[in-house]
Amino acid sequence: MYQATLTRRYLTQKVMPLLAALAVALCSAMVMTVWSVMGGFLDRFIDQGRTLVGDVAIVWPNAGFAHYEDLIERLEADPEIEAAAPMIESYGLVSLPGGLKETVVIKGIEGPGFDRVTGYADTIWWKPVDEPLPRDENREDWRLAENFPEPNFLRSPESWQRDFDAGLALTETELTPDGPRDRAAIVLGIEAAGFNVRRPSGVYVPSTPLVREPDGTTRYTNNFILDEKVVLHVVPLDLDGQAVELVTRSLPVANEFATGMFEVDNRVVFVRMDALQAMLGMDEAQRISADTPFDPFATNQDGSFAMPVQLEPDPARVSHVLARGIDRDMDAQRLKEIATEVYEAFAFEHLGEVPQPGRIIITTWADQNRTFIAAVEKETALVLFIFGFVSLTAVFLVLAIFWSMVSEKTRDVGILRALGASRVGIAWLWLRYGAAIGITGCVLGMILSYMVVTNINPIHDWLGAALGLQVWDPSVYYFTEIPNHFDPVKGSIIFFGGVLASVVGALIPAVRAAWLDPVKALRFE
Amino acid sequence: MTPILQVDSVHKTYRLGKVEVPVLRGVTISVDQGEWIAILGASGSGKSTLLHLIGGLDRPDRGPNGSPGDIRYRGTPLSGMSASELDRYRSRNVGFVFQAYHLLPELTVLGNVLLGAMVRHGRVGFMTKRGEATSRAKALLDTMGLSHRLSHRPRELSGGERQRVAIARSLVNQPDLLLADEPTGNLDRTTGEAILDAITATRNPSENRTLIMVTHDEQIAARADRVVRLEDGIVTAGSTTSAEAEA
Repeated sequence: MYQATLTRRYLTQKVMPLLAALAVALCSAMVMTVWSVMGGFLDRFIDQGRTLVGDVAIVWPNAGFAHYEDLIERLEADPEIEAAAPMIESYGLVSLPGGLKETVVIKGIEGPGFDRVTGYADTIWWKPVDEPLPRDENREDWRLAENFPEPNFLRSPESWQRDFDAGLALTETELTPDGPRDRAAIVLGIEAAGFNVRRPSGVYVPSTPLVREPDGTTRYTNNFILDEKVVLHVVPLDLDGQAVELVTRSLPVANEFATGMFEVDNRVVFVRMDALQAMLGMDEAQRISADTPFDPFATNQDGSFAMPVQLEPDPARVSHVLARGIDRDMDAQRLKEIATEVYEAFAFEHLGEVPQPGRIIITTWADQNRTFIAAVEKETALVLFIFGFVSLTAVFLVLAIFWSMVSEKTRDVGILRALGASRVGIAWLWLRYGAAIGITGCVLGMILSYMVVTNINPIHDWLGAALGLQVWDPSVYYFTEIPNHFDPVKGSIIFFGGVLASVVGALIPAVRAAWLDPVKALRFE
Repeated sequence: MTPILQVDSVHKTYRLGKVEVPVLRGVTISVDQGEWIAILGASGSGKSTLLHLIGGLDRPDRGPNGSPGDIRYRGTPLSGMSASELDRYRSRNVGFVFQAYHLLPELTVLGNVLLGAMVRHGRVGFMTKRGEATSRAKALLDTMGLSHRLSHRPRELSGGERQRVAIARSLVNQPDLLLADEPTGNLDRTTGEAILDAITATRNPSENRTLIMVTHDEQIAARADRVVRLEDGIVTAGSTTSAEAEA
């Protein structure tokens, strides 16, 4: 009982324990803030990492596999799968306006179907928007209706919608002497062409480079990729993986997409799937049947070579089928099991025509991003370790303060022993005192951390305005806002960790107090 | 009549670095229930050390010939008590009054007096006996003339008032033994007399409390039933009770 009374009195009537509690508060707030931001950073990366890859992918690279429509139908028949879509993934070279050539990952997709699996439509950048991005306080986003008309870009609100539709369908309508004609188009990653500038608000706007004219004058030009064409170069492979020949095709740019992942936005381009199938020789065709009798001496009457040929249909192929679960939080591993079962039945149905179940690659979104996610996880763990280690100073601070307080309170210990207090009781008094400081400090720390984390963006803005300090540069981090989610579970862990650290810090002084000789303690000056 | 306390050939030596300083050299005293004895001696004669040994704050050493001197409380040797039994002995049977008052500055007057009850009864025990203990503490403070000072801090009191609070604290658990170590040593003569009156007043016949007071003042010692003289760690007079002396 006396421990509770004295703990309360010591805590409220002394400056030193309040300083100790303040140290604990600052340390716990620091760790919690770092964990919240880094953890939020990781969560967003993981979330972004799922963009455009679906939940699970059935993959047979390069050569691809046929009868994918049947596989998609089977996958979508499963109650736990929301949608499935085909995709071709290949590599190639894109010649950009101005002569720049970039190696890119080319993805052939059917826009609407791909959107159902990956949310592709949300990533299309050039489209009409009603509200500015959260950080776009100056409303500089060109896509806002209020920013029209922009005389140099020949755009209107209606044209943004047309651009969006063209980007989704990966199809441009061209006016020809014979009338309008649909043409397969390309959608570039927003960073791929280098035509856009990302503002600190996270908004992309076309760049306006300074150009010197032949007469020596200079003028600003408007870079806008949507009015341009690019040339795509791919190398189709035969079924043995041998390169056949370079295939080149000019494609109009229908739109650009932005995922927030630099590696994706810089290196990936989308092409309408049928166009890419044709370029890679993966479209539906006729092939010489294996049953064709080989007769190299067969000739026509005019002497020309006339080996009899038996043709058979060669179905179109894709390298990927992507699937999405009915619930975004669904376990990817569970979806992988479903996809495996479905593929086994599918392969049995098309025996000899598609890769065998044991050889086909079935991966989850987490598998595909494993290296990246693991790197960020390790970084988060490392930062937490460093800050946690720094926070150990709180333990030594409590120890130092308690050591000093035990010295100051030596006579109190002697009095309590004279009144009949046991050594254990004395030790408990100081441990309890340490716990009280830890609880007080951690409560303050969590309140402080909550206030900082939830207001971290306004604080950051204020620092930028008042001191010109911009720690979080969206052009580097690719998120326009600093993650500001306060996780109560993490808060609880840090809270109990902080209290434990305080008790540990109080342990040695508590033992010292308990073992003080009461006679010497009473005579202590 | 069995003495409440028997101190039998008790030795105590302190070590100051490599030097051994014998403080008590075979002290033997008997104290009857309800008796007030004064241990009189000069500074350094071992009075306070003897009081600490009687109060169970310290343990005696073996004598030069290896004989284990002992202190018996109602026939029970303190040397045979475990640490927790000694703690219990101090909290239930002994009340200490010190020269320097030794009040906790963070607690109020009432809180200081109740502290002894808190230690004795523990958390649960004190919660159940809180009302009774508080009433007793208030009554004691009233007896000491401090009923108007209950919520004051020690720093707000005079030296005499502080010592009266310390006396009230020592009595809150109704101990058999009241051990006072120079209780008037920090006070002027008038206040000291008042404190001695207060201590005398605690010896009501119903409780029959034994009082052992350490002092170097002959006049104060004269108020006691018996004076035990201690010189250089040896009792030179008054070691036995009147009954023993008659026998």
